[in-house]
Amino acid sequence: MKKSKFFLLLSLMLVLSTFLAACGGGGDNAGKDDNKKGADETAAQEIKMLEAQAIPNMDSVKSTDTISFTTLNNVNEGLYRLDGNQEVVEGMAEGEPEISEDGTVYTFKLRDAKWSNGEPVTAHDFVYAWQRAIDPETASEYGPYMMDGKIKGAAEITAAAAEKKEYDLNTLGVKAIDDKTLEVTLERPVPFFKSLMTFPTFYPQNQKFVEEQGENYGVNSDSILYNGPFVLADWDGSTDSEWSYVKNADYWDADTVKLEKVTWNVLKESQSAANAFETGEVDITSKLSSDVVPQYEGDPRLVKWLEPTIFWLKMNQKESDALKNVNIRKAIAQAINKEDFVNSVLNNGSIVANYAVPNEFVKNDETGEDFRAINGNELLPYNLDEAKKAWEAGLAELGTDSVELRYLTDDTETAKKSAEYVKNQLETNLPGMKINVESVPFSVRIDRQNKQDYDLQMHGWGPDYLDPMTFSDLWLTGGGNNKMDYSNKKYDQLIEEAQTTLAQKPVERYEALAEAERILLEEDAAIAPLYQRSSNLLVNEKVENFTYHLVGPEYSFKWTSVK
Amino acid sequence: MEQEKIAKEMFSPAQLDSAKSEEISKPSLNYWQDAWLRVKKNKGAIVSLVIIAILTIMALVGPHLTGHTYEEQNLQHNNLPPRIPVLENVSWLPFDGNLTRKNGDVYNAYEQKNVEEYYWFGTDSLGRDLFTRLWKGTQVSLYIAFLAAAIDMIIGVIYGAISGFVGGRTDNIMQRVIEILSGIPNLVVVILMTILLDPGILSITLALTITGWITMARVIRAQVLKLKNQEYVLAARTLGLSNGKIISKHLVPNLAGVIIINTMFTIPSAIFFEAFLSFIGLGLQPPDASLGTLIDEGFKVLQLYPYQMIIPATVISLIMICFNMVADGLRDALDPKMRD
Amino acid sequence: MAKYLTQRIIYMVVTLFLIASFTFFLMKIIPGTPFSNADKLSDTQLSIMIDKYGLDDPVPVQYANYMMNLLKGDLGVSFQFNNVGVTDIIIKSLGPSATLGGLAILFGTFFGVILGVVAALKQNTWVDYTSTFIAVLGKSIPSFVFAGLLQYYIGVKLGWFPVAFWRGPEYMVLPTIALAMFPLATASRFVRTEMIEVMESDYITLAKAKGASWFEIAFKHALRNALIPVITVLGPLVVSLMTGSLVIEKIFGIPGIGEQFVKSIQVNDYPVIMGTTLLFAGLFVLVILIVDLLYGVIDPRIRLAGGKK
Repeated sequence: MKKSKFFLLLSLMLVLSTFLAACGGGGDNAGKDDNKKGADETAAQEIKMLEAQAIPNMDSVKSTDTISFTTLNNVNEGLYRLDGNQEVVEGMAEGEPEISEDGTVYTFKLRDAKWSNGEPVTAHDFVYAWQRAIDPETASEYGPYMMDGKIKGAAEITAAAAEKKEYDLNTLGVKAIDDKTLEVTLERPVPFFKSLMTFPTFYPQNQKFVEEQGENYGVNSDSILYNGPFVLADWDGSTDSEWSYVKNADYWDADTVKLEKVTWNVLKESQSAANAFETGEVDITSKLSSDVVPQYEGDPRLVKWLEPTIFWLKMNQKESDALKNVNIRKAIAQAINKEDFVNSVLNNGSIVANYAVPNEFVKNDETGEDFRAINGNELLPYNLDEAKKAWEAGLAELGTDSVELRYLTDDTETAKKSAEYVKNQLETNLPGMKINVESVPFSVRIDRQNKQDYDLQMHGWGPDYLDPMTFSDLWLTGGGNNKMDYSNKKYDQLIEEAQTTLAQKPVERYEALAEAERILLEEDAAIAPLYQRSSNLLVNEKVENFTYHLVGPEYSFKWTSVK
Repeated sequence: MEQEKIAKEMFSPAQLDSAKSEEISKPSLNYWQDAWLRVKKNKGAIVSLVIIAILTIMALVGPHLTGHTYEEQNLQHNNLPPRIPVLENVSWLPFDGNLTRKNGDVYNAYEQKNVEEYYWFGTDSLGRDLFTRLWKGTQVSLYIAFLAAAIDMIIGVIYGAISGFVGGRTDNIMQRVIEILSGIPNLVVVILMTILLDPGILSITLALTITGWITMARVIRAQVLKLKNQEYVLAARTLGLSNGKIISKHLVPNLAGVIIINTMFTIPSAIFFEAFLSFIGLGLQPPDASLGTLIDEGFKVLQLYPYQMIIPATVISLIMICFNMVADGLRDALDPKMRD
Repeated sequence: MAKYLTQRIIYMVVTLFLIASFTFFLMKIIPGTPFSNADKLSDTQLSIMIDKYGLDDPVPVQYANYMMNLLKGDLGVSFQFNNVGVTDIIIKSLGPSATLGGLAILFGTFFGVILGVVAALKQNTWVDYTSTFIAVLGKSIPSFVFAGLLQYYIGVKLGWFPVAFWRGPEYMVLPTIALAMFPLATASRFVRTEMIEVMESDYITLAKAKGASWFEIAFKHALRNALIPVITVLGPLVVSLMTGSLVIEKIFGIPGIGEQFVKSIQVNDYPVIMGTTLLFAGLFVLVILIVDLLYGVIDPRIRLAGGKK
């Protein structure tokens, strides 16, 4: 009797689970139908994308991250935009700008283009956006960062605000001559100024619309005006994990745009992204973490490219006597086997960096040669003998037989793995070396960097515009991003020359920057470069002309289509 | 039916001795002796105890068996699968050094990399010996487990028992303190710890200490509230027993079941709290290892090198199952209602 | 009873206030700024930004300001997102988390209780051992592993359910299973222990003697008495599951509040940290009150207030 009841219960559970499974089956079928529908639609030019995060900020003057930049790049347009070969091509500006003799005044002619509410895009829209970006009231992070020292009057406005003095936004060197003519005055010649104009911080904004929306500008897809190849749709704001781009019929170059729709979803885990790709739920994944990449080694759907982001060890000379010693720094920089590191530990296509300005990043305008051709790829390479010699010499100069250093790094998976490897290499190859790893959250690391409270720091830097200067000016004496008390008068002078007297002589300028790089590494071993990162993602074979960029926004869909 | 005839002479009258009626036929055992007797009868519990003992010994001895240290790297030997002498010839055991590619090809990673050495449990992506790291990790995880259990037993049980037993205003205040402690986000506390102290095992320990005992305190309080008004407690009170005696003689034995079950739940929670911290990057500092971090790392390469996750996952499951079996045995043994 | 309730509600407010205060000050000890681009900002610019958001005011002043705004019901605006109110963030991200957590609690407890009761009634048989094994597995496999395996084998290999995202009922199946393992294991273990104890008591013997059926004894008499520890533990678990699981949300791409909260802590998004803490703490305190009240309902012998005379 008892037993029978028990079995009754068991069979009830069985029935229930079959029922549940049946429900699941139903859901499954529905899912498959969706997929089929999806397939039909993709034939009609639609692709499904993944991103690792939601869009934080669609107000172009305030955005700071690649996801916002990417979105802005596809739904809006600045004076110029980048194409798949990383070349600057026309955007809102028609043709080449007129440049004054001394290279400090640029005059742009704007084309006839419309905002998505039908109003024309005018030079005033640029003036308004730029003034807004520099306005301390806006508290834009990228505005002053991109303009100070480049656009006339920008640095003064920032300085005045910091001292709580009056400032006048009209002193910023940007003027609308008429509706279709924009005049920009620079602090000094900026050879890469055209490529700078592709950056979303310099996009136009319609004053009337922005002021009408007030606080609500950019909070959802209805509170933004579009002038790009697509318009943003179904985006409820920064907390939304799904959104889409829909083709903008009013775009000036709408004939070039083939895609009708790009849908986006947020998925943070790389393995999940790969799984979703396998089931056909998405056509292009977000960038994959290096754990996932080896699974797809040799798979034609794995798309790889070299990012111009370098990771190096910053060696803080403020407090550590050991790191003030150039021999110790040389020993550290040459004692890490980077070849093994990129091949066995990272294993994602990243390459060894024996330089401080990335490979495959910029070419000389005149000669068409890669910047790296000047110095080659062998500045301060792994060399155990040299490292040991320098180490002995350094220790002798310090009069000690051991050095203990703190190693500050992020709390991410890759950061920790790198820390384990670097610690092991330094301790094994340099007898008497002791490394204490401190992995902390990002904001804590930055805080400690700003206070220069570290010895060694694993630090990565990505460029903001297509010019070696975005890397070279990091190491100026007292520079805002130096933060390790590196100082070399010769270095400072070379950078100064590159920014002033050589600004309009591309060949000499590159040579000066290359010489500065050589001093930084070979003479001073100020930093220990480790590797240049590569990006990996999975792309469905039906997608054609998938376009990625090296600076600012990551992707453009203007030229992409479906087979 | 035939009945056997029994002669009347075979019966004799029993002697009525009032002294004998009080005689105890079984040996006199106190509570704990009795409990131990009953644990001994439970074979599952004993086997589990032995396994736990072996694992603990291995956690101490294991890291020194292979001649590799837990942080020693050899990139030429990275991602090698397990290979054990003798056992490698037993085809159905996964100790032959073979790996399977995604397309189903099987190849011997040792031959491919020309490695003579035997890595019993394989190596990880930095070429570290996983056998050594496994036991080093078990060490850390067991430390966290015992720590969590101790905190639970000491702070949690006492706090909960006092709160429930005294009741009234004291209970009220003590419960509000618990609410405040649980209300403050754990992660904020942990991040603070990693900044104020050095990040690592110490800050994890402290973070555990702050909130780890709260569930236990609440469970104990709930049980005490239920028990304290029951008849036998009232009886004890009427007979003039002191509060301390009531708690130790009557309440604690009756609480044994929930205490043990809850401790058994705290242990994995604590181990995984540490793993969770590693998952979001706040846990142990590299190159330290725990079972949690090993599983986390192994899981990331599951599709290529499944052994890197399966081995630590097996050990952690083994620990959990054994703890639970022991716990069940103890629970049955300690329950006063089940004395025979 | 009414008096007891009013008293408890007053305590709740005080508790919440204390939690908010402690969290505020602790949070402010953590170094760093909420600016995502801090690595690239110059010192001048950083000082302008810090000044603009009043982050250089003394912490007690910031605290007073926050509390004043809080009284007006204003939770502030997030740093990491442009112009998004904290209230908005919480409302939007709580939805999926609460749905998922609710489902997990429901299924987890339901099957957990059944598993526990069956195990207790068949103590020390294979049924019991199987139940123990399932429960232990549920507790000893980390959720990210379990979720990952479900996603790969059921989602990708078998293709039964979608592998990720949050668009409809079929998308809820895998994350619910992954999340339900924990309450399932917890409930089953506690129910088993308590049931074994309860089954020994006199009233059960009486019920048996009266000839009550197996089902009646287990579910009408015994289970009710075995529930005290279960609800004690499950109460707060409800809050923690409903308010999101970082791991499950991350793996299955669910736009939930758990992930949001952890990220906000990591990037020092002060208003979001405070808002979410208040929500969690509020729910937690409320659930504890409900649990305390339930004690009395489940077991009339328990009196929380006015019991001492």
